[in-house]
Amino acid sequence: MSLSAYIPIVGLFALAAAFGLFSVAIAPFVGPRRFNRAKLDAYECGIEPTPQPIGGGRFPVKFYLTAMLFIIFDIEIIFLYPWAVSFDMLGLFGFVEMVLFIVAVFVAYTYVWRRGGLDWD
Amino acid sequence: MSGVETGEAVAFFLLAPLSVIGALGMVMARNAVHSALWLVLTMLSLGVFYIVQAGPFIGMVQIIVYTGAIMMLFLFVLMLVGRDASDSVIETLRGQRVVAIVLGVGLAGLLGLGTYRATQGLAVTGLDEANKAGNVQGLARLIFTNYVFAFEVTSALLITAAVGAMILAHVERRRGERVGQAAKMRERFLPGNYPGPKAGPGVYATSTSVATPAKLPDGSPAPRSISPILPTRELTAAEKANKHTEGR
Amino acid sequence: MNPTLADFGKDVWWIVLIKIVAVFVFLVVMTLFTIWYERRVVARMQVRPGPNRHGPFGLLQSLADGLKLAFKEDIMPLKADRVVFFLAPVISTVCAFTAFAIMPFGPFVSIFGQRTPLQLTDIPVAVLLVLATSGLGIYGIVLSGWASGSTYPLLGGLRSSAQMISYEVAMGLSIVAVFMSAGTMSTSEIVTKQADSNWYAILLLPSFVIYAISAVGETNRAPFDLPEAESELVGGFHTEYSSLKFALFFLAEYINMVTVSGLAVTLFLGGWRMPFLPDWLNQGWWGALWFTIKVLILLFMFVWLRGTLPRLRYDQFMKFGWKVLIPANLVWILVLAGVKTVNAHAPQQRWYWIGGAFALVLLAAIFWPSKKDSPKPTLEQEVAARPAGSFPVPPLDLQVPVSPRAQRITAEREVV
Repeated sequence: MSLSAYIPIVGLFALAAAFGLFSVAIAPFVGPRRFNRAKLDAYECGIEPTPQPIGGGRFPVKFYLTAMLFIIFDIEIIFLYPWAVSFDMLGLFGFVEMVLFIVAVFVAYTYVWRRGGLDWD
Repeated sequence: MSGVETGEAVAFFLLAPLSVIGALGMVMARNAVHSALWLVLTMLSLGVFYIVQAGPFIGMVQIIVYTGAIMMLFLFVLMLVGRDASDSVIETLRGQRVVAIVLGVGLAGLLGLGTYRATQGLAVTGLDEANKAGNVQGLARLIFTNYVFAFEVTSALLITAAVGAMILAHVERRRGERVGQAAKMRERFLPGNYPGPKAGPGVYATSTSVATPAKLPDGSPAPRSISPILPTRELTAAEKANKHTEGR
Repeated sequence: MNPTLADFGKDVWWIVLIKIVAVFVFLVVMTLFTIWYERRVVARMQVRPGPNRHGPFGLLQSLADGLKLAFKEDIMPLKADRVVFFLAPVISTVCAFTAFAIMPFGPFVSIFGQRTPLQLTDIPVAVLLVLATSGLGIYGIVLSGWASGSTYPLLGGLRSSAQMISYEVAMGLSIVAVFMSAGTMSTSEIVTKQADSNWYAILLLPSFVIYAISAVGETNRAPFDLPEAESELVGGFHTEYSSLKFALFFLAEYINMVTVSGLAVTLFLGGWRMPFLPDWLNQGWWGALWFTIKVLILLFMFVWLRGTLPRLRYDQFMKFGWKVLIPANLVWILVLAGVKTVNAHAPQQRWYWIGGAFALVLLAAIFWPSKKDSPKPTLEQEVAARPAGSFPVPPLDLQVPVSPRAQRITAEREVV
């Protein structure tokens, strides 16, 4: 497989990037400029912006946990893809080893579920 | 092995500097989120390198998995240090930068030399041979036959990661202690709480200006309804006058 | 003659150029059209005319809106991180466009005497390209939220990152069954495989349902549009954006809709092929027409959902993704793999195996220990249980007076 099949992807990428950068770069020059300090402030429906703590405040650890779970499942999916593509070739042996793998990841999943790691409140 | 294709050479000389710049930017950026972004650049370049070297599957996997991984890093930064986190330039350990650079260059040299030695005189079958049945199929044949043990052990690694994340990041709550959305709503409507939003500027006001404070139910002006960045000034008599907005 | 992987990467440079520009123009036009289409359809559902001023049927409305956006003031908030604030919309747009590179529009056609497949390109890992770009596209949203230096965008950005990664898992899992049946990840070959067997939406119905649901979550569309929940977060991640930067986010969102619809058509709905048609209608340029029609039908589904369903609560939404879609998907993959393995290795005894597994599941379902919930209090009891001084609620036996408008309509009907 030669690389020439990838060139159109690079081309589309380049065209989209040129379009995006051009639009972003030209926007300040095309539009009007009417200075107003209130415009530059953070928008919160017109009420006084919530005072930001020093450093911008921290975030719930929950998001991090979700991202971690995402990576675990992402890796599982990544292993599933080549297995799925050559499913017919791998036969019974491939089926058994993938069952073992999915069950193992399912153990982790059940653990996280039981401990309440999937609950948002 | 046949010679390097032109496309491959162009991609290499375009992306190699980019990935090095990304790596340097990652180390040098003072803002932690900028660091993460530089890392994205490096990882993307690496992904394209894999594709260029006839490993399209691993290239795409590199992009898919590392976008998630760096996203996690990003959230980690937000979680630990907040939005405006940036490093101070003051060194806490004297001379650590110099030592780090020397050791880093030394390690790179060692690794490079080791790889060079190991690959010298190696019999090369060529990428076409490896990709004969298709890149993904060839990869699958190796993972699920020769390296099946390593593959199964990966699941243990994933379990460890899940358990680790739960222990580090999960706030354990017993069943009764958990406060759900419904309970929170009920609490909001309990006596003593005012469930509606607070009045915004211009509400019940005598003027349409954002500089005019909202009025509290007892008629007194609410100072919290005016943004502090607006300059304070005395209202003119015309502005102060009743605009008859009450409706007759 | 169906295109295979070996047919790609052989075009002359100017054909490649024409195709790139054609895909770009197709996406931009589709965006302009979809915005109009959505507004008209939603308007019909809400019994009002919708945009009908500019051009025939108001078709030029979105073009006018887009042009107007360009001439609006470009605001950069004081607390924004300048570089990232600039980059975020570009990242969103670029990822949205790039994903479309592998969509098959049709079989071989002839462009100025050159025989070429009606598809920009195809690679052995084509479907993964869409996943990779949609993964990168999340950065555009998260970074815009982070760089705005404002509370609502940051909340919206984080929400959408959590939402999109959760639904990306479901989406990635739903595609596995397609790969299992097709034995390839190249889009053109998947389309060919479906012509040989049947649409995968029929053969792999659970996968298709899960894909459709997660596609809505992945594109941040109603009822899963929590990142830009107007009632909670103003505009979500793009609250601080204006002018062309805002337009780019809009463009990216609509292109993403077209992309997930296009992928659904390619993976599950037979691609550019239309069933029950004579052979000459499934050749050449006709493919592009069928593809576009199918995409438009799926886009109609998006609009229909938006017009019908209320927005989900965030905790329910995440619960649905992680506790329903993902385990259901994994179980389905295992069932499918089991059936296929039995089919391949013991075709004679296949019904014993399938029947045995079915009986096992049935037994487990019957003898599963059930929990007795305490009876739920009635509405009257709940209201009576509220402490004194609570926020007032209307009386339960409140008689809502008949709307005067309803009376008028019945009166008119009686006349007729």
